[in-house]
Amino acid sequence: MSTSMLTPETKQVPVSSKNKFKLGLRQWMAVLPFVAIGFIGIAVFVIYPMIRNIMISFQDYSIMPNAANPWVGFDNYTKVFQDPNDRFLIALRNTFLNVLATVPVNWFLAIFFAVLINAKFVKFKIAFRTIYYLPIVTSWIIIALLFKYLFADGDGGFINYILHAKLGILSEPISWRSNYWSAMVMIWLFHIWKTVGWGVVIYLAALQGIPKDMYEAADIDGANAYQKFWRITIPLLKPITLFIVINLINGAFGFFPQVYFITAGGPMNQTHVIPSLIYIEAFQNLKFGPAAAMGVMMGLLVFVLTYTQMKKIGKQKMF
Amino acid sequence: MKAMKKSALAVMALVLVLVMAACGSGNNGANNAADNGTSNGGENKPSGKKVTIEYWHTYSDAEEKALVEKIKPAFEAAYPNIELKLTRMPYEGLKQQVIAGVAGDAAPDLMRMDIVWVPEFAAQNALMDVSKLEGFEELKASVFEAPMATNFYNGGYYGVPVNTNTKIAIYNKATLEEAGLTEAPKTMDELVAAARTLKEKGKYGIGVSGIHAWGLGPWFWSLGGSITNEDYTKVDGYLNSEASVKALQTIVDWNNEGLVLPVMLGGEPGTWDGIISGDYLMSDDGPWFYSTKIAEKEQTGFDPMEQTVRALMPAGEGGSRSVIGGEDLVMFANSKHPEEAWTFAKWMLTEEPQKMMAETGLIPSNKAAADAMKTMDIPFVDTFVEQLETALPRTPIPQWGEVEGIFNLAFEKAIRGEQEPKAALDEAVKQIEAILN
Amino acid sequence: MKTSFINKFIVYAVIIAGALLFVFPFIYMILTTFFQGTNTLPKPDQVFSVKVNFSNYVTVWNKNNFVNYFMNSVIVTSVAMVGSLFLGALTAYGFARFTFPGKELVFRIFLLTMFIPGVINIIPQFVIIKDMGLVNTYSGLWLVYIAGGVIGNVFFLRGFFESIPKELEESVLIDGGGSWRIFWNIYLPQSLPALGTLAIFIFQGTWEEYFLALTLIKSEAMRTLPIAILMFNDKYSTNYGQVFAASIIALLPVILLYVTFQKKFVQSGFNEGGVKG
Repeated sequence: MSTSMLTPETKQVPVSSKNKFKLGLRQWMAVLPFVAIGFIGIAVFVIYPMIRNIMISFQDYSIMPNAANPWVGFDNYTKVFQDPNDRFLIALRNTFLNVLATVPVNWFLAIFFAVLINAKFVKFKIAFRTIYYLPIVTSWIIIALLFKYLFADGDGGFINYILHAKLGILSEPISWRSNYWSAMVMIWLFHIWKTVGWGVVIYLAALQGIPKDMYEAADIDGANAYQKFWRITIPLLKPITLFIVINLINGAFGFFPQVYFITAGGPMNQTHVIPSLIYIEAFQNLKFGPAAAMGVMMGLLVFVLTYTQMKKIGKQKMF
Repeated sequence: MKAMKKSALAVMALVLVLVMAACGSGNNGANNAADNGTSNGGENKPSGKKVTIEYWHTYSDAEEKALVEKIKPAFEAAYPNIELKLTRMPYEGLKQQVIAGVAGDAAPDLMRMDIVWVPEFAAQNALMDVSKLEGFEELKASVFEAPMATNFYNGGYYGVPVNTNTKIAIYNKATLEEAGLTEAPKTMDELVAAARTLKEKGKYGIGVSGIHAWGLGPWFWSLGGSITNEDYTKVDGYLNSEASVKALQTIVDWNNEGLVLPVMLGGEPGTWDGIISGDYLMSDDGPWFYSTKIAEKEQTGFDPMEQTVRALMPAGEGGSRSVIGGEDLVMFANSKHPEEAWTFAKWMLTEEPQKMMAETGLIPSNKAAADAMKTMDIPFVDTFVEQLETALPRTPIPQWGEVEGIFNLAFEKAIRGEQEPKAALDEAVKQIEAILN
Repeated sequence: MKTSFINKFIVYAVIIAGALLFVFPFIYMILTTFFQGTNTLPKPDQVFSVKVNFSNYVTVWNKNNFVNYFMNSVIVTSVAMVGSLFLGALTAYGFARFTFPGKELVFRIFLLTMFIPGVINIIPQFVIIKDMGLVNTYSGLWLVYIAGGVIGNVFFLRGFFESIPKELEESVLIDGGGSWRIFWNIYLPQSLPALGTLAIFIFQGTWEEYFLALTLIKSEAMRTLPIAILMFNDKYSTNYGQVFAASIIALLPVILLYVTFQKKFVQSGFNEGGVKG
């Protein structure tokens, strides 16, 4: 991997430790025209709100403009853990469960469907890709309404109607959203159904980039489809797989519409995730301090967990 | 090198333009705020003095029609210097909109707000105390006491009741006959007997519609339960009193016996579906059941006036109780035109405008208008007005949002059998006391 | 080596089953839009025997300023998409082609922000827009959409840009062109497939955005489409037939855009040099 992408101008400057600072400055001046607007935008609309978020987590925050918002140290943090119903810990557990349950399935289905659709003999590739992509382009809120309708209780819901009334797989219709595990499964299915198409489309695009001669060589060696998949496709797609998996993990950490619009955290606050809990605390209970504290803690946790990976991600070529 | 410099300059210029554009429109914004005479369409009227007040609401289609076609022209005719700007807000994420508006100093002048939010926003200093304003005492005397009380917080009134409502028992007529009854049950015992009869036919009789204060309230109170003392300061000894435990136990027993609608625990069919199909004998709901279903009569073939029976909540040990709902008209603390906003609030609570809205089925909070409503030809309101006399408010305290979360959780745990009713209520009391003090 | 008929059959069966799985809920949704008075939901048996009836579509089209909001959404989303693409590409180019001290650190901090739940960021963002005097303007909305999306877009594009062979730049350099010419003449055209993919992601994300649009835009005449759709979702009841009909209409432009763009973003594929790890 080429580490230096020096511009023609800076290349000519001899690098000595004395001039290091000057060189750095010069490099910044060279790149600034391209990144300045982006950096300003990020600073104002992403970094600054995040800093405010951190500040609020140490304040007794009132929504009124010009309110005093006194500093309260770690009060908001202790409040989060003093919750007698342990909602934060439950939400944390669910967040990890969501990652574990959806990322592998999502990833596997994405590469599985993409490889099959990409098979040489398959016709109407574009039609398939469009259909697989439909859920992605539909709004979360609408799909949530639709899923609640499909997963409705009794035989009035389509899923129960098929599984119970028609096929008899279930001995009685499930009350999907009233029980913890069935609600979690419904949330996962909702998420996977909605997002698999994204991975399929990215993989399909990447698969077209694999040189055909590699497969032809494998054919000559007498490899079967299964071997070709594991020995050629998977290793060649490694960088793009990394990109997809990171995004899938990020998506699974960030569950919000999946929970908020399906169960709103119920039954008994058991299905909350951190973002939905933050939303409820802030915008239902007007407790911005504890809500911000939860956000900060989740951020720190993710940071610690991914820090070691970050180096790789930062430098890894994605395509 | 030169090219680079040029492009750098170009980018700087671009940034500058963006910033200037931002500042430019900023000035425009300030100008607009300064002379509110400019109406939405942007026509500049030279009258200078004309003031626009903004009013957020969540009226339904039919109600909005009355608002736009009757209220607005009538008000603007009476006060030619004030323009009423109506903004209908979607219900989804509404509280977030209000919070952002308040935090960003961009809230409207007035809002029609759910009664349970008023103390909460009053405690944030987001609302204006109207009790010191000119004409308040007269206004207070002209409206019903219970809806007025929903605006009370910390010695002041932070809004005025614009309309009120409650829930009554609504029965499917055919199912009622199937249960062997000719009229609606008067007591809980009669209702339970009917529910047992229907259970054998695979139908449900006891219409608790959900595990929240709005759904449980009428049942819990009618069965003798209570949440707080009369001035809403103490829950210990009330929510976990013997009578409350017994009331909750009764609901738990009903549910275990399979008498309660599945919808209570989030199941199906929904309340309306169940009542219409006859799978549910009854449920409690508000006047909107009738206004919505009458409007859809042609399309669905269901005539709610013919096919349902209206009645007061069946009486238990606590009498026939229901829950007060409705909306208050509040003024935001950073309203730019408090005087004009108050003028509108006062006007909106007089008899004529109240009657205009009553035609859509909203129950007036103005006594004279409510009286007049009885003689108006609104087919379904009588029972609702009668039920209002014994209806109770959900605890009007600023912490209610959080308290209700605890209340709901305790009831759900008991009803799902995770905890004994006594233990669940004791724990809830402990948590609520911690919030109140 | 020829693929056997059995294998072909299995592959087709699997991908068709998958397609059915993805398309079926939409069919169910469309069937539901043929019902009237759907504050109560039809049962599966009823759904499958419904007669085609477009009156909900007509109602929706004429209600809640639907057409106006639709056009507003077109404007808001198009500008946000073009702006996001341009700014994302520009910043990604900076990261991909230049070396500067702290580059990876900055990049990692950016990535980190993607993992922190931004649910309550809406309040500070709103206050900033308010201080700039941009409440109730599309400029305010665009600023937040474009600036808020930069990081994700840079993350997406950077690797792509880095895989563009350096040799391609030489012709520009020989002509005496600089970094801008390279950006315009090499990087943008070379990465059209990636830009096409990204364009769709951005379009769809902006097209359905609800909370921010509602918070920033105070005038009813300027509202966007998702707000109109949720207006059918009343406090006391949801008219599913109408909500779903409105959603189907809202879905059409996105599908249209997808079909137009997808030729670009798959035919040329991710470029060959890229997939070498």
